[in-house]
Amino acid sequence: MGESIASLNNSPESQRYQQLYDMLLEAIPSSVLFIDRDLRIVSANRNFLGKNRRTLPDTIGHRLEEVFPAIIIDQMDFPGRIRQVFEKNFRVKGERMTYRAPGIPLRIYYYSILPFSWQGVVELAMLLMDDVTEQVRLGEEVRRVERHLASVVESAQDIVLSTDLEGRILTWNTAAEKLSGFTLHAVRGHNFFDFCADDDQGEMERVFTNLQAGKDAQMAEWDLKTRDGGRIPVSWIFSPMRDHLGEAAGIVAVGRDLTERRKFEAQLLQTQKLAALGVMAGGIAHEIRNPLAVCSSAAQFIMAGDLEPQFQRECAEKIHAGILRASMIIENLLRFARPTVAPDIKEINLTTLLAETLSLATNQARIAKIELQAQLPREPIFISGMEGLLPQAFMNLLLNAIKAMPDGGELGVALGQADGEAWVSISDTGQGIAPGDLNNIFDPFYTTAPVGQGTGLGLSICYSIIKQHFGTITVESGADQGSTFTVRLPIL
Amino acid sequence: MTDPGELILIVDDEPDMCWALEHLLNKQGYVTRKALTALEALKLMERHRFACAFLDAKLPDMDGLELARRIRERAPDMRILMVSGYFYRDDLAIQEAIAQGVIIDFISKPFLQAEILRVLET
Repeated sequence: MGESIASLNNSPESQRYQQLYDMLLEAIPSSVLFIDRDLRIVSANRNFLGKNRRTLPDTIGHRLEEVFPAIIIDQMDFPGRIRQVFEKNFRVKGERMTYRAPGIPLRIYYYSILPFSWQGVVELAMLLMDDVTEQVRLGEEVRRVERHLASVVESAQDIVLSTDLEGRILTWNTAAEKLSGFTLHAVRGHNFFDFCADDDQGEMERVFTNLQAGKDAQMAEWDLKTRDGGRIPVSWIFSPMRDHLGEAAGIVAVGRDLTERRKFEAQLLQTQKLAALGVMAGGIAHEIRNPLAVCSSAAQFIMAGDLEPQFQRECAEKIHAGILRASMIIENLLRFARPTVAPDIKEINLTTLLAETLSLATNQARIAKIELQAQLPREPIFISGMEGLLPQAFMNLLLNAIKAMPDGGELGVALGQADGEAWVSISDTGQGIAPGDLNNIFDPFYTTAPVGQGTGLGLSICYSIIKQHFGTITVESGADQGSTFTVRLPIL
Repeated sequence: MTDPGELILIVDDEPDMCWALEHLLNKQGYVTRKALTALEALKLMERHRFACAFLDAKLPDMDGLELARRIRERAPDMRILMVSGYFYRDDLAIQEAIAQGVIIDFISKPFLQAEILRVLET
């Protein structure tokens, strides 16, 4: 240790302190150097010697420039700073130093120079060097990962955006800019809701309330507004962003453009509809030819002439009624077959819609010797839905029920309302669904029907249509116990 | 050949179809009985001896061809005609039924009244 301190007292107690002090210096995980006014090193701890691959003899008593590379001494202005420490008795605060020396790996230090004074006089300057190489490297790695993540987000085809908990937009990736036409600059700080179609606002509030309450990922399908006034259907996944304490700090939304998928779905719907029409064709032919045959017979009576006035009138009435009936069947059929272009959401009377769909399926049930037990309420039940889609869902369920009863049976159809929901149950007394198939019946192209007799699309399309109406579809079935499908839809 | 005055059975679940056939046949002097279901038809057969029957192909409780087979078992010499909008004339099921003698002929709906009468007269 330094002469002035060492010469003060040589008592055993002082020696003990000296020992403790040395131990402390050796144990400290920083490099510690004591330097005198002449810039000579008077003490160096083990940490310093180890890191710089020096020994005590070639360090102690040497001047600073013999121990540190000249470039570091110049850059850091060690002589000037040490002089200040001695003259003004103040500490030089932490600064960063990159330590490059021949034969030693590059290290980065945070250093400070502290006055070491005795009775008001600065005896020595203490150079304290903390090795922060690892921390700096870690910081750089974090920045590299951040840049990498940013480039992933930027090059993603999907929309990736983040908002604060209130929904104000913080980030907005290139895909979001491209799809919406709005730049990050234009949207930053604005509420995300402002860029979604108005008809979804109610559900948005529900999703955000859930996220704020700390619930996990939420899914939704909302249209994104575009700069040119258009709308793009987008399927969203919202996840809460958590801070280091696990508290919700913001929201990340990933959105996928559904335009192409919607087009594909529309094609699929139409294909399946045509398949259903094929199934119905036999029943419909039978059903139209009946009134035609009545018309034709009545017309032939009139053509034969010489009729009682009352019978002649009866014939005319039969012709009229028969034509109306045939025409009604054709109209129902056309309505069902019409492609669904833009799904138009409007108020729908479910009672009427179900009755009309049922009238189309009745033909099919009759020729399959199936007894129809319909329990429809007299009063209308209003829901909000797509007139072009719902009949297809119910028709699929009805045709399935009929198909499940090749040897005849009973087709039950009931409609009712409870707890703010309308429910429709369609049951058959047919062969039932094997437990092994129950989990798959709503999957597209899953069918147990022989090749050419089922597309495997019917139930998956039902599922998709009912889901688009924010409803649910469930099934109860057992082998040889028949099946009951229940559709629930929110009441308007 | 079915002679006027003989009893004819009409089976069709469509009341207006029964109406049309009844008027046509009654005008020609035939006596008719109608049934809207296969069960009704079989019951009528217990009480009457029909010379001829017109059957629809699809009845609520039984297939028309099945009813024809049951009738054939009970009354082997009854003339059974199928009148339906469901089948084609050259439908395999129809061709088979004719070949097996289950039905004597098939008339598709809508039909000419002359066709019905012609079948009765041959």
